[in-house]
Amino acid sequence: MTLRGKIPFLAGLAVALGAGWVGFPHAIYQSRPQPVDFSHKVHADKAGAKCEDCHSFREDGSFAGLPTVDKCAGCHTVPMGTTVAEKNFIDRYVTPNREPQWAAYAHQPENVSFSHAAHVKRANLACETCHGDTGTSSTLRPYQVDRISGYSRDIWKIGNMRHGMKMADCVECHRRNSLENSCLDCHK
Amino acid sequence: MTIDVDRCNGCGACMVACSVENNVPPAHEGATDRKGLTWIRVYKVDNGEEYPNRRTAFVPVMCQHCGNETPCVHVCPQQAVDVDPATGVVGEMPQRCLGCRYCMAACPYHARYFNWWDPAWPAGMEKTLNPDVSTRMRGVVEKCNLCHGRWHAAKEQAAAAGKPDTEPVSYVPACVEACPTGAIHFGDLNDSSSAMAKEAAEPESFRLLEKLNTQPKIYYRSKKDWVRGIAAAPRPGSGKENGRG
Amino acid sequence: MKTTRREIMMFAGGSAVGVLFTPAPWRLITDTALWSENWPGVPVPARGEIRAKYTNCSLCPAGCAVRARCVGDQPVALAGVSGHPLSHGALCPFGLAGHHLPYLPSRVKQGPVKEAAAAVAEGIAKCGPAEYVVTLDLRPARTASWTYRRAMAAVKNGRYVTPSVDSSVAVDLAKARTVLSFGVPVLDGWGTPGNVIAARPGFRLIQADPVESRTATMADQWLRIRPGSEDALAQGLASTVTHAAAAEASGLAESEIAALAARLEQNGPVLVLGSSRLESTGRTVVARRETPVPTEWHKAAPVSGLASLPDGSVRVLMVDESAPGEYLPWNAIQKKLVADNPVVVALAWSREGYARHAQYVLPVGVYPEVVGDIPPAVDSVAATFRLSVPLVPAPESCVKPEEFVAAAAGLSIADTLHERADAIYKTGRGALFTCADAKSAALKDVSAADFWKALNAGGCWIDAPDEKAPAARFSAAAAEARPVEESELPFVVVLNRELTPASPILSKVYQESNLRLAPNTVALHPSCGLEDGTQAVFETLLGKCPVRVTLDAGVPAGVVRVTASPAVLDLCAAGARAKVVRA
Repeated sequence: MTLRGKIPFLAGLAVALGAGWVGFPHAIYQSRPQPVDFSHKVHADKAGAKCEDCHSFREDGSFAGLPTVDKCAGCHTVPMGTTVAEKNFIDRYVTPNREPQWAAYAHQPENVSFSHAAHVKRANLACETCHGDTGTSSTLRPYQVDRISGYSRDIWKIGNMRHGMKMADCVECHRRNSLENSCLDCHK
Repeated sequence: MTIDVDRCNGCGACMVACSVENNVPPAHEGATDRKGLTWIRVYKVDNGEEYPNRRTAFVPVMCQHCGNETPCVHVCPQQAVDVDPATGVVGEMPQRCLGCRYCMAACPYHARYFNWWDPAWPAGMEKTLNPDVSTRMRGVVEKCNLCHGRWHAAKEQAAAAGKPDTEPVSYVPACVEACPTGAIHFGDLNDSSSAMAKEAAEPESFRLLEKLNTQPKIYYRSKKDWVRGIAAAPRPGSGKENGRG
Repeated sequence: MKTTRREIMMFAGGSAVGVLFTPAPWRLITDTALWSENWPGVPVPARGEIRAKYTNCSLCPAGCAVRARCVGDQPVALAGVSGHPLSHGALCPFGLAGHHLPYLPSRVKQGPVKEAAAAVAEGIAKCGPAEYVVTLDLRPARTASWTYRRAMAAVKNGRYVTPSVDSSVAVDLAKARTVLSFGVPVLDGWGTPGNVIAARPGFRLIQADPVESRTATMADQWLRIRPGSEDALAQGLASTVTHAAAAEASGLAESEIAALAARLEQNGPVLVLGSSRLESTGRTVVARRETPVPTEWHKAAPVSGLASLPDGSVRVLMVDESAPGEYLPWNAIQKKLVADNPVVVALAWSREGYARHAQYVLPVGVYPEVVGDIPPAVDSVAATFRLSVPLVPAPESCVKPEEFVAAAAGLSIADTLHERADAIYKTGRGALFTCADAKSAALKDVSAADFWKALNAGGCWIDAPDEKAPAARFSAAAAEARPVEESELPFVVVLNRELTPASPILSKVYQESNLRLAPNTVALHPSCGLEDGTQAVFETLLGKCPVRVTLDAGVPAGVVRVTASPAVLDLCAAGARAKVVRA
């Protein structure tokens, strides 16, 4: 076969590779911004807040997750700074006492039972190990969701996360630490 | 787990509490006792005689958590069931199940149930679902997991309190908590000092279908010989035991 | 240059090979699998902080204490309160699913409130000299009951009617060494289940029952008597008729009755339930002090029974069907109504009861949406006061029966429950049990404000023991025994009681197993000739209704066991005769 005969084949190959590696990731994810342009960095630096101040454990050991608007209202009933984002937040959420519809990057399927207490308090894992550098970011990156499965792009490992958040990633760490027992350990 | 058959009065509180805890939906219109979802089911058994020699008892049956060559684990093509080596609980993963129902055929205790229909709750009742247990869709098999949602919550509380991993957590499944007569006891069979383990070791304790050697972990207790006889299923249904014909 | 078909095929082939080396197809497979797991239409539970709230269950007079596990403010599970002096931590299957009741699909949600109020006002104005305005209270002895009594006293020709219930008589199970029950479901829903279970080791239970009920199964001795022969057997044991006559009526052997009589003699005190022909001994039935009431309330209408009303004399009838209680058959009520345009208002959550007969059906809140007190249970020797505290808000369209009746009568009421609590507090007697810490404190050691707060957190006031309480008797009407009617119909009716309202989750015991006998279901002996599950028609001399057949060898041939729903009670009482034919 001459080179000329191979051109359509190679062209097809190139187009497919390009579409698959560049076009597909672009198309499969739908991007939307978070409802409030929140800066973790500002709160860590200026307010001296640590992760646990807003993302705290309850008395029964369960993890409160994303803070509700009454936590923010503790300081932000009046503007504390000069940004438009803060003013919008107060007008749209604090004053009418409405919860922002945050999109959790780490959202796991319904059938997963993940215990923050076991990982943070027993295994002493740092927040960054799984959540990356979200805690020091000055804006919240847009939430990229897979159009078919509905899960966040972040579970496939982004930024300086050591690993992704799919089941295989959890199992790998559990296996390394000889903590792999049974399905029901993590499923509910 | 030990169940005192002499104390069970057949009220059904365990069946209701189990369904509330595990997000089991109410029956679809077409559901019968063969097609229902009753992770724990109380059976009425009798000695086959007529009055005045007729004797009746109530026997709650849930997944027996077989310890030896667990039948459902063996047959599942999806590996959607496993035996936890640490606790002995046979855990079912409805999310992994493909609905072939081979496990239902394999289970000698008929303790596995299939979602013939999509689970549906009356409008608004879905607000009462338990967040510690996931809901299932139609086409998958489900069964008793000894209230693993409560186990997870107990483990989380222990972790938050700083207790080490090796210390066993204690919790009670919903049926144990709900039983008004206290017929069901739950604990660690391996802890020979616990009251429950001592009960299981007594001569009047027996297990269902012992001849199959599945080594179930649910021990039944009764002072009545005929009840122990029924547990061994000495003969195929002659019709006399089944009062419904 | 022209593109040939071959080039297109080569291009496609190259793309196919190339795409396999990209993540796309593998991702699509994974994503499709993930998509299939999140099936739309299957609800996902809401998450939130887990909190505990306490209340008391108002589905039956036991009033068992309830601990509600809530996600945020929404109850998701109910359990008993261990260590409670009355309920001992027990909860029945109906109480365990009480938090589902606000979402019952069949509940009444809307009603013509203004029209009903206007019709009642008009009826009251038009009331003739021999005509009455009646409030029928199906669960008497509540604080709301007192409001009805005061309202009926405030209105001209007002009458307060209840099904006859002896609220001033209580049973002391702890004193009984033998309990002889004529068909009363002692171990299956009678009294306070936790209390009966706790007292069970102390007495021998003899159940005289035509069918193998759950109580008969668990009793120490089951006497299978013919339906309707309860009184005859009781009279035989009381020696007011001969043992031979009692044997003839009941179907037992004469020697059996003689042996039973001797046993009762030797193993007293004996508690007799279900027949007034034989007396209980040894103060097992005692008078009980009433829970204190503000003195101003005593200017209230007296309690009367339906029989005290002349036929055709009731112009306005308001029925409080909001708290689960007795159901009086409609034909007994209907003949008391005036012939021309009587006004009948049913304050109900269900369409199955008096809503079928009333002109105006007004929606009411259902447990656990409403606040109300629960009268003391029959097996509570001490008077009690406990509130059923709302766990979720009632729909806005619901009326409060107490307020509706009081407004109709022109009686202004404030916070009646608080007034009653204050009256109790003034006596200084008794103890207060608080659920959160499971502790009892003497009432005089608690402040009035703390008392009210504790009651609203599910606490319970228990009166001090009344050492001087005299022995008492149940009235004849309280005992349920009825003779069998004469007719050609083949089966004798034996009634089974199930609590309503019941959550749809009770399908576990009604439909997905044959553990309990559901409403609109009959149980027959397998020899009846019908198959299990047949749709049939249950017919009595008064009418018919559709039922489903289930077979039960514990029901003797010639007897039909049916659950006493309003539709069934309108057709028959215990002892009636019926036939069941395929539909």
